[in-house]
Amino acid sequence: MPVKTRRLPKKSVSFSDEETLTTRSRQMGDKKRNASHDGPPIYVKPTIKTVPLHLLALLYYYIKLSQDFDARTLLYMLIPLQLIYVALQFNANTIYGNKISKLRWSLLPISFAAALVLTVPCMLIIILLGAPISMLLKETWLLAAHCCILTLPAVYSIFKCNFKVGIFKKYFIAVAIGCWISCVVIPLDWDRDWQNWPTPLVVGAYLGAFVGYSIGPYV
Amino acid sequence: MSSIDASDERKVRKRVFNTSIEDKRLHWSRLHRFKTTHRLYIYLISSLAILQFIAIAFFARGFLLTRNVLDNVATDSPVEPKFDKCVILVIDALRFDFTIPVDPSDFGYNSNHHNNLEVFKNGHGTDHSSLLLKFIADPPTTTLQRLKGLTTGSLPTFIDAGSNFDGSVIDEDNFIKQLSLNNKTVYFAGDDTWDALFRPFLSPNSEPFESLNVWDLDTVDNGVMRYFENHLLNETAIPANWDVLIGHMLGIDHVGHKYGPDHFTMKEKQLQANRFIERICESIDDKTLLVVMGDHGMDHTGNHGGDSKSELEAALWLYSKRPNMWNHLSPDHYDTTSLGENHRRVNQIDLVSTLSLLLGLPISFNNLGWPIQEIAATAEELKLYHEVTLNQIKSYSDASGVITNFDKAEHLQDLWEKSINDISFAPEYQKYFLESCKDLWARFDYWSIVVGIFFLATSLVLLIIITKLVPSIVIGQMVSEFVPTIAIMTLVSNVCFNGIFHVLHQPVFFENWLWCTLFSTAVGISVGFFLTIFDRYTVAWIGRKFLEDLSDYWSRIAALFITLHAVLFTSNSFTIWEDRIVSFLLATLGMLTLYEFVFLPKRRLTTALLAAAMGEEKKSPQKKQPLDSESSPLGRFARLVGGYHSIVLITCTRLASMITICREEQGEFCTPTFTTANNYSYWGLMLCLTAVAFLPSCLKGYYNICSSYQAAAPIWISQFLRWVLLTNFVYWSICAMENNIPDLAWDLKVFKLTISRIVAGFSLIAANVGWMMGPLCVKLNIHNNDVKSQQATILGYANVYGSQFFLLVINFFMCIMLFNKPLAQISLFLMCNQLLSILEIVDLLKLKENLIGPVSLGLLAYQQFFSTGHQATIPAVQWDVGFVLTERITFPFTHLGIVMNTFGPHIIIALSVALLTLWKQPPTVLKPQTLLARVVSNCGMLLIYNTVLCLSSFVWVTHFRRHLMVWKIFCPRFMFASLSLIVLQVIITLVTIAFASGRLIRQINNLFWA
Repeated sequence: MPVKTRRLPKKSVSFSDEETLTTRSRQMGDKKRNASHDGPPIYVKPTIKTVPLHLLALLYYYIKLSQDFDARTLLYMLIPLQLIYVALQFNANTIYGNKISKLRWSLLPISFAAALVLTVPCMLIIILLGAPISMLLKETWLLAAHCCILTLPAVYSIFKCNFKVGIFKKYFIAVAIGCWISCVVIPLDWDRDWQNWPTPLVVGAYLGAFVGYSIGPYV
Repeated sequence: MSSIDASDERKVRKRVFNTSIEDKRLHWSRLHRFKTTHRLYIYLISSLAILQFIAIAFFARGFLLTRNVLDNVATDSPVEPKFDKCVILVIDALRFDFTIPVDPSDFGYNSNHHNNLEVFKNGHGTDHSSLLLKFIADPPTTTLQRLKGLTTGSLPTFIDAGSNFDGSVIDEDNFIKQLSLNNKTVYFAGDDTWDALFRPFLSPNSEPFESLNVWDLDTVDNGVMRYFENHLLNETAIPANWDVLIGHMLGIDHVGHKYGPDHFTMKEKQLQANRFIERICESIDDKTLLVVMGDHGMDHTGNHGGDSKSELEAALWLYSKRPNMWNHLSPDHYDTTSLGENHRRVNQIDLVSTLSLLLGLPISFNNLGWPIQEIAATAEELKLYHEVTLNQIKSYSDASGVITNFDKAEHLQDLWEKSINDISFAPEYQKYFLESCKDLWARFDYWSIVVGIFFLATSLVLLIIITKLVPSIVIGQMVSEFVPTIAIMTLVSNVCFNGIFHVLHQPVFFENWLWCTLFSTAVGISVGFFLTIFDRYTVAWIGRKFLEDLSDYWSRIAALFITLHAVLFTSNSFTIWEDRIVSFLLATLGMLTLYEFVFLPKRRLTTALLAAAMGEEKKSPQKKQPLDSESSPLGRFARLVGGYHSIVLITCTRLASMITICREEQGEFCTPTFTTANNYSYWGLMLCLTAVAFLPSCLKGYYNICSSYQAAAPIWISQFLRWVLLTNFVYWSICAMENNIPDLAWDLKVFKLTISRIVAGFSLIAANVGWMMGPLCVKLNIHNNDVKSQQATILGYANVYGSQFFLLVINFFMCIMLFNKPLAQISLFLMCNQLLSILEIVDLLKLKENLIGPVSLGLLAYQQFFSTGHQATIPAVQWDVGFVLTERITFPFTHLGIVMNTFGPHIIIALSVALLTLWKQPPTVLKPQTLLARVVSNCGMLLIYNTVLCLSSFVWVTHFRRHLMVWKIFCPRFMFASLSLIVLQVIITLVTIAFASGRLIRQINNLFWA
């Protein structure tokens, strides 16, 4: 179904809003609207090295090994792995201005903090799309935190590459689509533990991120 | 106010457009052409509507099994009772093979559900004090239907067309009713379905238990056992003052649902039941009859509801302490080898006559069953029993007149005469009568179902071709060909089919000329349409155009939404959660438009496609200059406005979706907010008042975007709407007062009725008559700064169509508000904002002719249906609003109230779908015909959306016709889909296209078209 695959990347659900902050700031700072055409090229090298295998490992742990689907433990495991992934894999294959960008250590905590800040709008979006308003807020925040940490490489690169959002948008969208599709299992009356909020969405976000980071450079 | 308008009109005409006589003639001829086209369009859409109505009628006839319930009650029985008392224990899902000894070497043996209920072996072989029989249920094997069957001896259908049909008290004569009529005290404990069905006939000492929670294995069983302990087993506690003691245990059924029959819990439950029955056997006396039975079986997964063998085969066990009570047949009738394959079987409906005869009661009037042979000790007794039952069935057959087929009636009469002479023919009579009744009540009419689905699919294809694929301008020309062809074809096919039917009586399923006429009319309409279409186009072209139309981003999103919504009916869980899913989709749509406005992805918009393609080469160097208004990217301000509207849409959707009346099946995952307490609470009323007071300002804001808040608009919005809504609020405050204050000193009924009638009369009649005068929302601005210019500015020029049309929507909105409770009014207030925001978004993104517009409005209608306190179930219908206008049921006012309440959002959307075209549509840009064609096209797309939903519900309800939940979930949803399609068709055809659009376009063109 070639039709469907083309449709999906555009069906960007929610994370568009997160980026408004960065977009707006860019627009204010930058007078030139079409700077991306004139500026140095940015792209992620299409290579097998950016495939985030650690996400699959985490998913395996989450689904098979952990007994109670504890999203908090998973988050603690995700954060260091994502930082390592940024440092060793993603950044190493990002090209900005005809050369492989060097890792700037100072940006790691900054982007991490930015990702944490992003959890607030992200959570708002999740609630607007139908998450419970007053109950289960902690779970919703955990989901938002997962989503934002999953997009950490993209956030880092946006900081690194002078707030060129354009090419990194797709990673946010991938995570969002993952979450969006995984909502399908929530209403089913199978009464399984893993249908509890927010487990399916966390899994969906991981799968979305995995697909996004794997095929992102080729799209 | 019409005089003001008239003078305005004159001014406008005089000052701005100085038309010559030549122009005028041209104008009039054009207007005449428009009138003709408009009339033909009405015929076109009406014939499509008729086709759909016929499709729905056929499907409903085939699917909705109906049975007329008679209120007659049987009196006096000539039979001497054999027992004084009776203990009836219903063990839910007691499958037959659970009760018989099974050889462990047998195929299918499982120690967890076989050979655990040893009690049923008692007294079978030696002293014939017990009788175990295979007990065949009639599908559907759901507890409610089974209980009705077990106690009335009849075949319950979905609609037992009596005075009420939502699972509450049985109207017709039944075994329990006979007990209470004959002064027997009935004690009951167990499944609360009994309480719902037989409340007036049960003793107040009964203890019903919640039966819904399938995961709770013990509460009901323990309750039943404790109850029996108190009233039967433990004689010392309470002296037995019951005549009939009924228990209904759910444990085995729930184990089946939760774990399946092979689980070890099943063994525990069965052993527990075994011990319980043993104790009952010990404690009853000689004059007490013990009946243990299952209401249905279970399949290998432990579920039931269908018609497979293992679901239909339950067990029936009769026990008495007297030896040789039961006159057993030869032992080979009770063959328990190979899981009781060849064991003697009786029907569940036979129970009523059997028990009635044993207890000396009259057999209930509607009974179709036949007494079990073994209960008669002697041949004379058997003869007496047969005569009694035969007379009862005959009198039912005569009174009900169900057998209308001539051959069958004759054959029955034949058998009846034979039976009078020789009673051994009586069972044959009963069998034949039962079979005939089953044909009528328990078998779906697949021919009608298929015909219904086929016609609806045809109408869907036609709608897609006519309103979407063929360019609207061509349709305008083709209309004059369509109408005569359809008329001729309908005539021809009517003559053909009626002739065939009259002469040959074929096809049989028509039954009478009415259905034959409906069928042939539908065939005629379809053929007429297809002939005209294939006269010009080929299938290949249509296919190509279909793919092409789905090639742009927004159409695909819309198609995705339609598909997702239609796919919901494939599963009961999705159907249950439709309310959340719909608002999720609507919020998703808001997010998508927000993304669009924030990032402006390089995406060619439909209408901009051509212009951009032309302009690209020339002007690419200076991209910052807008090429023209159609193709230019959105300016920063427009994007800001668009983003704002998207956020309004998302937020309002989320807020509205907090108002919900939960379905029973949603259980603990949903907290109902639309309750009587909340509706009439102070905070609810205060919120409602705020919304009502705030609404005119909101609308004013939307009107001011195009400075259309002129002339008629302030009158309508800040006078009519405001005061009507406030009066309406007074009405609902009085309702709240009556509800909250128990002993109100005054009788406010007259006052309430006066208010409601004023509001309804004003909004439906007076305001619409006012609208027909043509209230314009424009104003001449003569305070022109430009000294040189001689021209005056017309304020509100850009939205002259939309602003006027929306006033009509306001009229209906006022009426719908009257019939909605306070919380639903808040939801409808949010709906106005959502609606206008969607219109603004669609306009900003230039998607006026895209599929996404009608689809988003359709989604909005469904979301609002759920958030105004409805669900697609029969108990969720707010019957009480039927009494807003009148005190007792009066046609049409009661019906008007319920329709306005239930389909309010659909009605608003059916009207506003024309606004997709008309909102922000300046005059003198499009020709009147083009404008009308576009309105029709948008209406058609909304109909396509709803037709797809209706078709999907048809197909899936047919597929799930033997599903456990079909009568609770799928069937009400199908009924709702059909009814909403009918309402949409009626409103769109009669009001939107026939009444409003034509009048509006004519009037505006009279004024502005030069």
